[in-house]
Amino acid sequence: MRKGLIQATDGFERIVHWSLALSCIALCITGLGMMYQSFNFIGGLMGGLKSLKYVHNFTGVFFGVALYFTIRMWWKEAGIFSMPEDLEWIRCAGGYLWHVDNPPEVGKYNPGQKMFFLAVAGFGVIMFLTGLMMWFPLSFPPTIVRLMFVLHALGFVVIFAFFFVHLYLGTIGSPGSLDAMLTGWVSRAWLKKQHPKWLKEMEEHGTLIVYGEEKPAVKAHH
Amino acid sequence: MAEKTKLIDVSKCTGCRSCQLACKQWNQQPAKQTENYGTYQNPPDLQSNTWTLIRFQEIAEKDKVKWLFRKDGCMHCTNAACVKVCPSGALHYTDFGTVAVTNSLCIGCKECVSACPFNIPKYDRVTDKIYKCDLCLSRLEADLIPACAKACPTGAVTFGDKNAMIKKAYVRAKELGGDASVYGDKFVGGTHVIYVLQEKPRVYDSLPDKPSVPFSVIVWKDMLKPLALLAAGGVLAGSFLHYILHGPKLPDEPGKEEKGGE
Repeated sequence: MRKGLIQATDGFERIVHWSLALSCIALCITGLGMMYQSFNFIGGLMGGLKSLKYVHNFTGVFFGVALYFTIRMWWKEAGIFSMPEDLEWIRCAGGYLWHVDNPPEVGKYNPGQKMFFLAVAGFGVIMFLTGLMMWFPLSFPPTIVRLMFVLHALGFVVIFAFFFVHLYLGTIGSPGSLDAMLTGWVSRAWLKKQHPKWLKEMEEHGTLIVYGEEKPAVKAHH
Repeated sequence: MAEKTKLIDVSKCTGCRSCQLACKQWNQQPAKQTENYGTYQNPPDLQSNTWTLIRFQEIAEKDKVKWLFRKDGCMHCTNAACVKVCPSGALHYTDFGTVAVTNSLCIGCKECVSACPFNIPKYDRVTDKIYKCDLCLSRLEADLIPACAKACPTGAVTFGDKNAMIKKAYVRAKELGGDASVYGDKFVGGTHVIYVLQEKPRVYDSLPDKPSVPFSVIVWKDMLKPLALLAAGGVLAGSFLHYILHGPKLPDEPGKEEKGGE
């Protein structure tokens, strides 16, 4: 770690994030193996498609637990839009798509991140519940089970597409962002560019944790 | 190879259940003990080891009782919902136009159970697989007719080339007159098991009036499945274009930050 870096996430946040992320990726890959016959070979890596089914189902349970902690931890910060600044940000797409001179200052999460959180939280819950019913389809009427398959597939369309957006903007699309979820320590320049309002808030409240400096008396959040 | 069809003329059925027994015999399916609940229909429903079943129905008519016998089992659809949803290819079409199961490929997901408009595939907990009639594929491949058709003593179950059987069915339905009709050739792309029904279809127990591939299966398999790959591909292409045209969002270099915030 370098002196002057600022803590953006704590260990608990990162563990929850990666529990959700890795189980989500495992579910997408195993799900692909069952959704498309051309991806059946993925089952071969796990000793057959039947084993893949069990890997998918039990990873789904783990995903459900991770999702519970994710929502509990982030819904206040990332699940609620603050008007009117968020609307203003959405109107200019935060300056991500075309040149904007002064995009509105962003707090801990920008509206794009909030939308991603809401999509994952909402469809994640749908995926968990529909998946559970698809696991035991004989316990429900066929018309209900049929609807579950549609919702599960719809959830996949949304989450799978959003996953790549998240992957891009979490890595090469926004250099420096990955550190927030790897070590948790980010540069002041990155924070100033990405979340200036949050930086100011932390400075005002004295909750800013800078590496190498004495920790503030007030604990960061939660 | 020519498409084959099994014709079930319910007006000729005496409910002897020879077909049921012959099916069990050829496919080596043991019977399970069942309980008598006041009907000759036994077992009560299709099972993972009972692939065909005579359904017994009593219809009260004025001062007498009329029996209806219907041989139930897989209809071998041309557009089979079960084949559409099967993730592993265990359920597949054969050269005869019928729908067979490769049990070694079945993963026991039961997707076909809820997709089938005729409620045919049955799940077996012990083997964690589904089972259903394959129209005696092993016999067809050896140039034999299905066991049920072979065993039928009255000519209620017959088997032959698809077009010939459909023709035969319409001739018979006309001969019977009244409410008699042909059931099966008009929906799900045409089934490879067709009925000559004496009564209107809705009179018969567990027989859907207008069966179809469920709309949800079409949305799921024909729309959402390609959309998932298109959406993900679009995002990847969009991200690439974003990177090379708009460029990543970089933090300002130290010392060159704008004063007074952005």
